[in-house]
Amino acid sequence: MGWFQRFALLGLCVLAGWSWGCASPVGSAATGRISLAEAGDPARRASNRLVVEGLDADAAGARARARSRYQRAVQIDASNPFAQLALARHCLEIGDPTLAISHLDHAELLFDSELELRRSFEAHVVGLRGLAERELDPPNGGDALLEEARRASPQIWGDAWLDAQELR
Amino acid sequence: MPRSRKRSAGARKRRSKRRSRAPSVWLRAPAWMRRLAAGVLALAFAAGFWCSAQVLALDRTVRERFEGVQFRVPSRVYSAPEILYPGLDWQRMDLRGTLRRLGYREARESRDLPAGQYVWNPRRLRVHLRAFEHPTRPEPSRDVVLRLSGSEIRDIRGLPSGEEVGVVLLEPEPVGAYYGPAREQRELVELEELPKHVVDAVLAVEDQRFASHPGIDLQRVAGALVANLRAGSIRQGGSTLTQQLVKNFFLTPERTLNRKLREAVMALIVEARYDKRQILESYLNEIYFGQRGPTAIHGVGEAARLYFGKPAASLSVAEAGLLAAIIQSPNGISPFREPERATRRRDLVLDLMLEQGRIGNAEHAAARDEPLRLASLSPESSDDRYFLDLLERQLADGYSGEALSEEGLRIYSSLDRRLQGLAVEALRAGIERVERRVPALHGDPTRPLQGCLLALRPRTGELLALVGGRDYGSSQFDRCVQARRQTGSVFKPFVYIAALEPNSGKPFITLASFLDDSPLEVKTPKGTWRPSNYDGTFHDTVSVREAMEHSYNVATARLALEVGLDRVTSVARRLGIESHLPQVPSLALGTADLSPLEVARAYATIASGGLRPRVQSVEDVVDGEGRVLERRNPQFERVLDAGTAYLATTLLQGVAARGTAAGVRAGGLSGPVAAKTGTTDEERDLWFVGFTPDLVAVVWLGFDEPRPVGVPSSAGALPIWRRFVEAVSGGEIRGAFPRPASVRRVAIDPRSGALARSGCPQSRNEYFLAGTLPTHECPETARKQQRGLGERFLRWLRGTG
Repeated sequence: MGWFQRFALLGLCVLAGWSWGCASPVGSAATGRISLAEAGDPARRASNRLVVEGLDADAAGARARARSRYQRAVQIDASNPFAQLALARHCLEIGDPTLAISHLDHAELLFDSELELRRSFEAHVVGLRGLAERELDPPNGGDALLEEARRASPQIWGDAWLDAQELR
Repeated sequence: MPRSRKRSAGARKRRSKRRSRAPSVWLRAPAWMRRLAAGVLALAFAAGFWCSAQVLALDRTVRERFEGVQFRVPSRVYSAPEILYPGLDWQRMDLRGTLRRLGYREARESRDLPAGQYVWNPRRLRVHLRAFEHPTRPEPSRDVVLRLSGSEIRDIRGLPSGEEVGVVLLEPEPVGAYYGPAREQRELVELEELPKHVVDAVLAVEDQRFASHPGIDLQRVAGALVANLRAGSIRQGGSTLTQQLVKNFFLTPERTLNRKLREAVMALIVEARYDKRQILESYLNEIYFGQRGPTAIHGVGEAARLYFGKPAASLSVAEAGLLAAIIQSPNGISPFREPERATRRRDLVLDLMLEQGRIGNAEHAAARDEPLRLASLSPESSDDRYFLDLLERQLADGYSGEALSEEGLRIYSSLDRRLQGLAVEALRAGIERVERRVPALHGDPTRPLQGCLLALRPRTGELLALVGGRDYGSSQFDRCVQARRQTGSVFKPFVYIAALEPNSGKPFITLASFLDDSPLEVKTPKGTWRPSNYDGTFHDTVSVREAMEHSYNVATARLALEVGLDRVTSVARRLGIESHLPQVPSLALGTADLSPLEVARAYATIASGGLRPRVQSVEDVVDGEGRVLERRNPQFERVLDAGTAYLATTLLQGVAARGTAAGVRAGGLSGPVAAKTGTTDEERDLWFVGFTPDLVAVVWLGFDEPRPVGVPSSAGALPIWRRFVEAVSGGEIRGAFPRPASVRRVAIDPRSGALARSGCPQSRNEYFLAGTLPTHECPETARKQQRGLGERFLRWLRGTG
C-alpha cells in the first residue's frame, strides 16, 4: 500500500469517526430535518401537508382548525407519526397532558418503524414527553427528559417549549 | 290627556241636561219593545264577550307559536368529510358518486363556474367546492382543477391562480336525521340570507299584495269568488300568504266556514302583532315542498337542498321560480315526476315576476331558457340506521330524544360513507353466498341467517362503518352492538397475551416456546371437561405459533390453565372486554358471550400497540345557532406494553399467512394483515376479526336464535372480511405494523426454539421482548462450536495454530 492510499484510508476513517461521533443519542433536529411534505407515499405526503396546515393554524391561534387538520391527517394516514407528534404538542398547548402522552406513545411507536425519522425527531418526542409528565396532576417528573431534550437540541428546547412553528 | 278628560266630562253634563228636559224614547216605547231591545242588547253583549274571548284565545295561540319554539327541526348527522389529494384513486373512492350525493351538478365549462358545480373531462375535473360552514373549522368555497391520470389524481390546483393546492376537503355528507313523530325535515333560513329573487318569486305567485294588505286581501278574495262562480267549483283560493301560514301553523286543511273565519281572524292578529319580515320568514321556513320518501320537506332551505342540492342562498332566478311554482301542489307538480308540468308552471311564475316588475326582461329571458337541472334524488339509506341508532345511544347522556328530534343540531360523525357502503355490500353478498352454499338455511324466511360487520380506526377509536344486520327494515336489532355471542377462537389471543406479557419481569412463554397438545382432562363442578381440536386429533408438542396459527384448542386450554384464568380475564378486561367472563376452563376457547363491538375494541388495542381507544362515533355537535356544544376527542389508555402487543400482532400475522385465516390472501390481497377466525360449537357462530395498520374489522354470522350455520368461519365470515378489505384497500394494504424498540428479531431453530447461528440447518426469524431471548444455541451450532474449540486446541498442541 503506497503512502497516498494509506493517507486516503486514514482520511476515510477520520471522516467515518467524525460522522459517528456527531450522531448524538437524542438526534438533533437541525441535522436530521427532512421536508415533511415530500416524504413518503401519496397518502403520507397529503397527510403531512395537513399536519403543516395544522401547525400553521396552531401558530395563528386557530386551535379548532388546527385540531381538525391533524385529525384529517390521521384520517388519510393513521400511521403518520408526525400527525401524532403534532397532536401531542397541540394537546399540551390546550392543557391536556394525558391525551398528549397517548399521542406521544403512538408517535414513538410509529417512529420506531422509521428509524431515520426517529433519530431526527427523538428530541421532540423526549421534550414533549418531559413537558407532558411535568404537567400531569400530580406531576410525574419530566424535568430529566426535558433536560435531555435541551441538551440534544438547545436551539429548540432552550426555552423549554416547542412552538408550532418550530415543529413545522 | 287631562284636556280630553275635561271635554268628555262636559259632554256628559250636556247629555244629562237633554235627558232631564223630556221623557226619553226608551221610556216612551212599549214594554215588549223594551224587553226585546234589552234582550238583543244582552245577546249582543254576550256575543261580543264570546267573540272577545275567542279572539283572545286565538291571540294567545298565535303568540305562543310565534314567540316560543316556532319550528321543530330534526337534528342531522353528517359523515366524516372525504379528502382529495394527489395520488388518490378517485375511481376507488367513487368521486363522481360522492359529488352527486353531495348535490354537485355537472355543468359545461365556463369562466365563472358557480359553487356546487363541476366539469368532468377525461383527464381533468374542475369542481367549484362549496364552503363548509362550521363555527370553528370552516372551509372556504374553492374553485379547483384536478388533473387525472388513469384512476389517480395527479395534482390539484386552485383557480384562477393555478397554484398547487395539495389537499382539499369535500363537505361532510348528510347521513340521516332524528325525526319526531311528524317526520318533517327543514333547514331554517333567515330572510337576509336569501336572494331577493327567491322572495320575489314566492310573492309574485302566492301573494303579490303581501306588502300592503292587513292579512286578508279582499280584492283577491273577490277575484277568487268570481273565478270560482264562473267555474262552478272551487278553482282558485283567495288566501294570502299570512292566511296560508296560519292554516299550516294552527288549523286543519278542512274547507269549512268556521275554519275560514278562524283563519281570517288569526291572520289579522298575526299581521297586527308581527311585522311583515317576520311573517315572510316564518312562511318561507314553514311551507310544504313535497316528500323525500316518508319525510315531509318544509321550507325553502330544505327544498333548495332536495331539488337542487344547494343552499337556498345560491338559488338562481329560474330555480327560485321553480320552487315558487310547486308551492301550489308540491306532489302534483313534482319536478322529479312531472318535469314538463313543473317547467311550464315555473315559466308562469317567471312571467308574473316580469309583469309585476320584479325582474327585468333579460333576467326573465335567461331564466326561461335555463333547463331544469335537478339534484339526484337519493333516498335516505336504511343501511346507515344502525349507525344512527348507536350514535343516538351514545349521545343519550347529553341529549334527550326530544332535543335530537326538535333542536336542529348538526352532529358530525366519524362514519366513512365509502366504507359503510362497502360494508353493506360485502355483508349482503357474503350472507347470500353462504345461503347458496347451504340451501337448508332458507328454511324459515322470518328467521333468516343474520350477520354484522363493523370497522374501527385503531389509532383513534373512530367507528368508520357499522352494519348491524342484513336488513334494518325487517330487524332493527344491532348484532354488532347489542348482541352477545360466544366468540370461539377469537378469544384465544387474550390467552397468549396473558402468557407473553411479562409478569414480575418475566413472561410465561416466548414465541420460541412449545406447548403441550396432548389429551387434557379437567375436573369441574359440572363433570370432567375434555377439550378437543377442530381436526379431531392431538398434536403432542407444538410451537406457540403452530398452536395459534392452527387454533389448537387443547394446547391453548392447557396454557390458559397454567397461566391462570385470572390473568387471562385481566388481559381481556384491560383490552376492553366488558361482558361477563365465566371463570371456567373453557373460557380460553371462547365460551364467553361477547359483542362484536367489544371484540373490535380489544383487537384495536392490540393493533395500536397496547393503547386502548375509546370507541367513538361523534366528532362534534353544533346547535341550531351555530355554537359548538361539545367536541369529543379520541381517548386512550395504555393497558398493555407495546412489545407484548407487537408479539401478539406477529402471531396473528402468522394466522393470516399460514393458519386458519390464510384465506384472506386468496384474492391476492397484499400487505400487512393480522387476523383470527372463530367458530363455535356446531358452527352456530362464525366470527372473523382482522386488522391492518389502519383498520380493524369484525364480521359475525349466525342466527338470532342460535342454530348451526353449516359452514366454518373460514367459509362464512372470512370471505366477507376479505371482500370488504379488498374493496377498501384496492387489494394492497399500505404501511406496516411498527415494531417497538423493545422487541428484538433473531433467528431461531424452529425445532428447538434455540438461537440459530451458523451451522444450524433450519432457521426462522422470531420476535422477543428485550431480555427474553433464548440463551442456548441450536444443537448443530453447539456441536460445531465444540468441534471448533477441539480443533483449535489440537492445532495449538501441534504448534501450527
